[in-house]
Amino acid sequence: MSLIKISGLKKSFQGTEVIKGLDFTLEKEKCIALLGPNGAGKTTILRILSGLMKPTEGDITFTEAKKGEDIRDFIGYLPQFPVFYDWMSGLEFLSYVGKLAGLTGKEAKERSLELLELVGIIDAKNRKTAKYSGGMKQRLGIAQALIHRPKLIMLDEPVSALDPIGRREVLDLLEELRKETTILFSTHILSDAEEVCDEILFLHNGKIVESGTMTDLRERHQQAKIDLFFRGKAEKYANFLSNHELTQSVRIEGNKVSVFVKDVSLARRAFLQAIAEQNWPLEKFEVSSMTLEDVFMKVVGK
Amino acid sequence: MSQWMTLLQKEILEMWRNFKWIWVPITFILLGVKEPLSSYYLPQILDAVGGLPEGAVIKLPTPTAAEVLITGLGQYTTLGVLIIVLTTMGIISGERKSGVAAMILVKPVSFQSFVSAKWAGSVLLMWFSFFIGYLSTWYYTGLLFDWIPFIQFLQSFFFYALWLTVILTVTIFFSSSFVNSGMAGFLSLVVVIVLSLVSSTLSNWLEWSPAQLTNYANEVLLDNGIPEDTLPASLIAAVFINVLLSLSVFIFRKKELAQ
Repeated sequence: MSLIKISGLKKSFQGTEVIKGLDFTLEKEKCIALLGPNGAGKTTILRILSGLMKPTEGDITFTEAKKGEDIRDFIGYLPQFPVFYDWMSGLEFLSYVGKLAGLTGKEAKERSLELLELVGIIDAKNRKTAKYSGGMKQRLGIAQALIHRPKLIMLDEPVSALDPIGRREVLDLLEELRKETTILFSTHILSDAEEVCDEILFLHNGKIVESGTMTDLRERHQQAKIDLFFRGKAEKYANFLSNHELTQSVRIEGNKVSVFVKDVSLARRAFLQAIAEQNWPLEKFEVSSMTLEDVFMKVVGK
Repeated sequence: MSQWMTLLQKEILEMWRNFKWIWVPITFILLGVKEPLSSYYLPQILDAVGGLPEGAVIKLPTPTAAEVLITGLGQYTTLGVLIIVLTTMGIISGERKSGVAAMILVKPVSFQSFVSAKWAGSVLLMWFSFFIGYLSTWYYTGLLFDWIPFIQFLQSFFFYALWLTVILTVTIFFSSSFVNSGMAGFLSLVVVIVLSLVSSTLSNWLEWSPAQLTNYANEVLLDNGIPEDTLPASLIAAVFINVLLSLSVFIFRKKELAQ
């Protein structure tokens, strides 16, 4: 069942086209990651879907919304940098937003306490939001997005601003939430997307360059790969590897060289031989499958 | 309706937390009592300060109660207006700039309620402050000079407050049109000054201008009855307020909440 349908979506700012024609459908009760480098247009897409920006062209259809119904009823949105009334306490803000979304005073308060508990800031419920730390603001932001039990929650970089522990907790929370609602979240952290999401949309320069489930993507981009880890910089060895007849392409990251090869078993023998002969300071030799990062690099053409 | 009340309650609570409910009324009271006190005590003040040559006699005509009230009201068209503009200019633009407006308006909140609740909150604060400020002018004038009938006080209060509401609505309009509060405040003052200047220089042609309401309030205090142009001027003020509010909503809706 589809929840939202987007067709021919375009957005320009002062003549510059930022979103260049998007078509995609979000399925119900799935978790979808919007993945892309900085400036790919992730935030813009989320803002358009939440109604904060108007598309220059294209249609967004909510399958369940009747004609004339306010789509904001179905959506919970967390911006990248959530802001609150700093003179309100966390509990006050949540109750306020809950009442605005149509809950009665009592319901709003109960729901707020429930959510504060869920996101783990119940102890700070009566503290002014001005005194909240970055992580607490992020959590309060998630709570306010959930207050009216929306069908779709959209989170803009929900974990980028958090420390490792906070990140872990929010990811676990998302894992929990995906049982009830559809989640669309943007990130540039590949492992987060890989961990919680069923589906991934790769965005690059305002276009979807690749999409599908993790398994789909792996199959489609399957390519034999050998990772070599050196002691010290890997550049000086890369030259030999990239000129090798079995090599298709090479990527260097610090002390690691990833070599995409035509035939793994032949390449393994050839490389190991070369390493032994030339006495390279090798630390680790790994025949591996493609990670999301490899797919990402491949589709954005780097 | 209940959503609108929620929005209004938030405005009132916010003005309480940032002490607007305290300092605006106090400022208006200070503005209000200044005139009767200084008119009454001027001779004594001059005496006490001294500096006049021996034997100099200054004769100051004692102003009438109506004159004192009129000069007192005059304070509100200058300093009072400034306070109204300064306290209102950031009311929408500030929330948009900080991004909190976007947090609220991704919820199913009507733009019209959002703007009109802010307007209503500011109007409440302004009417309350002006009422107790002007009431203290009336009270001290009564004590020190003469008692002006309370009904005349109420009538003049109402006409003046209507004009101040026009000014407040102009400020809200600019606040919803610009993200920069300073710009909104500046433009509001320009509009108010131009409106008042044009209305007073061309008073024969612009008898129905809302800015004339201040003059009609003075006529009431001078015991001349309510001038017949008061009704059309009040109606035009009401229409002007409504049109400006609708325009504010329209512009605010058209603008994108995120840059």
